[in-house]
Amino acid sequence: MKSSKKQHNRYAKWQNLLLVITLLFMLVSALPNMYPEKAIIDVTTKKTAAHQLSAQLIPEFSPGYVKQILNEHNIEVDEITTSKNTTKVVLTDKSEQQSAEQLLIETLHQNYLIDSSIGNNSPVWLTKLGGQPIKLGLDLSGGVLFVLDVDTERAMSDKISDIVLDIKTMAREQRLRAIKVNQVNSVSLNIGFSSSNGSENSALFTKILATYPELTKSKVSNQHISFSYSEQEQVKFRQETMKQTLKTMRGRIEELGITEAVTQKQGKNRIRIELPGVQDPKEAKRIIGATASLDFYQLAKNARDVNVKRIRNDNGKLLTLNNKVVFSGSNIKNARAGRDEMGSPLVNLSLDSIGGDKMSEFSKSNIGSPMITIFSEFYRDANNEVVKKSKVISEAVIQAHLGSQFSITNMESSAAAQDLSLLLRAGSLSAPVTIVQQRTIAATLGADNIDNGIKALTIGVTITLLFMAIWYRRLGVIANVALALNLISLLGLMSLLPGAVLTLPGIAGLVLTVGMAVDTNVLIFERIKEELKKGRGKMSAIDSGYKNAFATILDANITTMITGIILYSIGYGPVKGFALILCLGILTSMFTGVFVSRALTNVAFSHNKGQLLGVQQ
Amino acid sequence: MSKVMSRLRIRSFYCAAVMVAFALAGLFTQGLNLGLDFTGGYLTEFSTNKTVNQQEMLAKVTPFLEEGFELTSAENGKYWTVRAADNGTNANAWLNDFVKSINIQGTVQNDNVQVDSLMITPQDAIYIGSQVGEELINQGGLALLAAIFSILLYLSLRFEWRLAMGSVAALFHDVILVLGIFAWLGLSFDLTILASILAIIGYSLNDSIIVGDRMREIMKSNTESEIDTIINLAIKSTIVRTLITSGTTLATIGAIWFFAGESLHGFAVALFSGILVGTYSSIAISATVPQLLGLTADYYQQQEEEVCQLP
Repeated sequence: MKSSKKQHNRYAKWQNLLLVITLLFMLVSALPNMYPEKAIIDVTTKKTAAHQLSAQLIPEFSPGYVKQILNEHNIEVDEITTSKNTTKVVLTDKSEQQSAEQLLIETLHQNYLIDSSIGNNSPVWLTKLGGQPIKLGLDLSGGVLFVLDVDTERAMSDKISDIVLDIKTMAREQRLRAIKVNQVNSVSLNIGFSSSNGSENSALFTKILATYPELTKSKVSNQHISFSYSEQEQVKFRQETMKQTLKTMRGRIEELGITEAVTQKQGKNRIRIELPGVQDPKEAKRIIGATASLDFYQLAKNARDVNVKRIRNDNGKLLTLNNKVVFSGSNIKNARAGRDEMGSPLVNLSLDSIGGDKMSEFSKSNIGSPMITIFSEFYRDANNEVVKKSKVISEAVIQAHLGSQFSITNMESSAAAQDLSLLLRAGSLSAPVTIVQQRTIAATLGADNIDNGIKALTIGVTITLLFMAIWYRRLGVIANVALALNLISLLGLMSLLPGAVLTLPGIAGLVLTVGMAVDTNVLIFERIKEELKKGRGKMSAIDSGYKNAFATILDANITTMITGIILYSIGYGPVKGFALILCLGILTSMFTGVFVSRALTNVAFSHNKGQLLGVQQ
Repeated sequence: MSKVMSRLRIRSFYCAAVMVAFALAGLFTQGLNLGLDFTGGYLTEFSTNKTVNQQEMLAKVTPFLEEGFELTSAENGKYWTVRAADNGTNANAWLNDFVKSINIQGTVQNDNVQVDSLMITPQDAIYIGSQVGEELINQGGLALLAAIFSILLYLSLRFEWRLAMGSVAALFHDVILVLGIFAWLGLSFDLTILASILAIIGYSLNDSIIVGDRMREIMKSNTESEIDTIINLAIKSTIVRTLITSGTTLATIGAIWFFAGESLHGFAVALFSGILVGTYSSIAISATVPQLLGLTADYYQQQEEEVCQLP
């Protein structure tokens, strides 16, 4: 009887082993956070200099010399190491990186290459395991600021030229030959017609206004009429374009999993993006990504047609396209790379309802003919003019009547499929966007504020730990160990997620989650106390205490988890970050509060003698 | 004793209802003082001829601006950005005054002693939009509804619909009261506060479920016949746990409130009040609502024959 109870009370060896392995894994993941990020400046001897001008190398150059230069300007050096041609300088204060780099370039640029980076000072074995510290938010460590210019003027002009093409098609469908349509400027177009076929003309005009209700018709002369965007409609169009671009940018940042970025509209046509924790602007630029757009075209049936667009593909072959796009990137809802039954790579696309309708109509009448995908990117040239660069990225044959779901097959490789799907996902910008400003920004909170915050949190945690140890004695100490392990596990889990960002409120939330994890242990211990009062033996009280409290803990945590998951999936910014901490915190507190503390209790109490929680047997 | 406790419980339920009404009145009459995250505002930028530390600059700028602005630096403390609310007046006005005052000080000092004094060059003043898009606000509302329905569903399956209603009512109470406090006191409501409301939701649910769970247990063990007594018993046997958990959490938040300074002030206020009202509502509302909705003591006895309960 007694021995069977003991069996109940203990974890099997493999269970304990599993716990230890999990905890060790978390510990290793959390470890890189112990090594703060440091600014590193590499001073490398220029190759040519070493060969030809060795005599002219600064004779006194040595690690000590570099240190001396920096110290003269009040820049503290943490560590200097030298290898063959490179001297690596680690700065004490990360914020001094730029001035230090500038200084070294000024003094040493003739013979040395100066390159600075942000690196983790963690030991080599840890770096090899791929450990990364948690990224810190804008308030704690700053980040990079980008200001994007959205060329709404260009988007407007593009829209007008689309309308011109559409009107030409309408006219052809109605067999109106003597019609001339041309774009006047970025907001209006002109139609020249012969006054002889009046009724057909007015039918066409009615149709134009029905399709594009935002246009205003005005008579120029007896044979000319103009359609234009009124002031109001122009403003509306710009606002819509900005809204769309802002949404796309937020979506892109979200897709990369960065929770604490700031994206705002700045002035009339700019977007301000602040990304936390990206010290390397090149990487951030890649994130903001291709300021690209995508369009899908049909090959022109007749190469001498007026409405054609000519473009060369990668092999230099000239393609003649029907000028009207079938649908554009903004109609793409999602794109994923995959493989067909034969194992050859493809990209699966799903379109929104508008794109789906267009595709369905187009593909029905064009089975067997190719569809061309063109990727365009905007950049500013030397004269600061926006230039559009287009490239054919795919030529695919339409094989069946397609709807909103279809795939692009015949991809060269799965890497190409991956790239294309990424471009398709990110390509839904309707207006050209260029980066006009880029800066590294400092932490919003001063060092004092951060120190105070951390101090306050330490005081809070200490109060909790002291209370637990005094109130529950030995069990309290176990709870405290479990809490510490919980904090480590939570840090470890967060380090494993690439997008997780910690802000000061986030850290406070983290500490609170851990604080609330006390609850798990309090519930269990109060249960044990109750069982002891009922007159149960110590071991059996512990056993049923853990068992009974578990159902309650599970219910309470699952409900909170539901809320957390829903808010994570649609929340934004700090709300999203907080929901993430909450969900992970629930997982780790269940793990450490129930299983780990149980294993610890097993180790600490092995017989029924003595009293527990102040209850006399 | 039990009679007194029941009466107290019912009374505190009505008291909670009155407080919710008061909070709602505050929300409708005063409205929330939405922070820059939600409203957008004006962005002014200026540069300095030498590196200035964040604290120093903050002290210099503060007299010229209304409360609730944000100051950020770039380029090693030589380029500064101020985000402030759109107060209707010219966004540049304060910057001009500020630049004048600093630069005059500079020239005076120049004549006497110091040579390299601080000079400020204004750069830009421009309107910025909110951090949160309209679509996100709509989505957020939908999400909250979805969350509440999921919780109701889960708790109804796991417990009983009346217990579930109790937890959700307590949840509403807690969130509305905290929002009411922010409305009445006119504290700035930003995204961080919104996030702390999330923590309050988690905390409130936790508290309610633990009391509800104990009620279910007592009802199942079939030793009491009065629902009143069952609720009182459940509260009595969980009160120590409730006080310890709330107490330690409040201690942590209290430490943040007193020592962490301005940057976490709103956050601490929201959580402190949230946990206070959460503890109150777990007793006054989530335990009382099922009784008012007609939950009877022998509910689980009737159920036992039909449904096989989860452990």
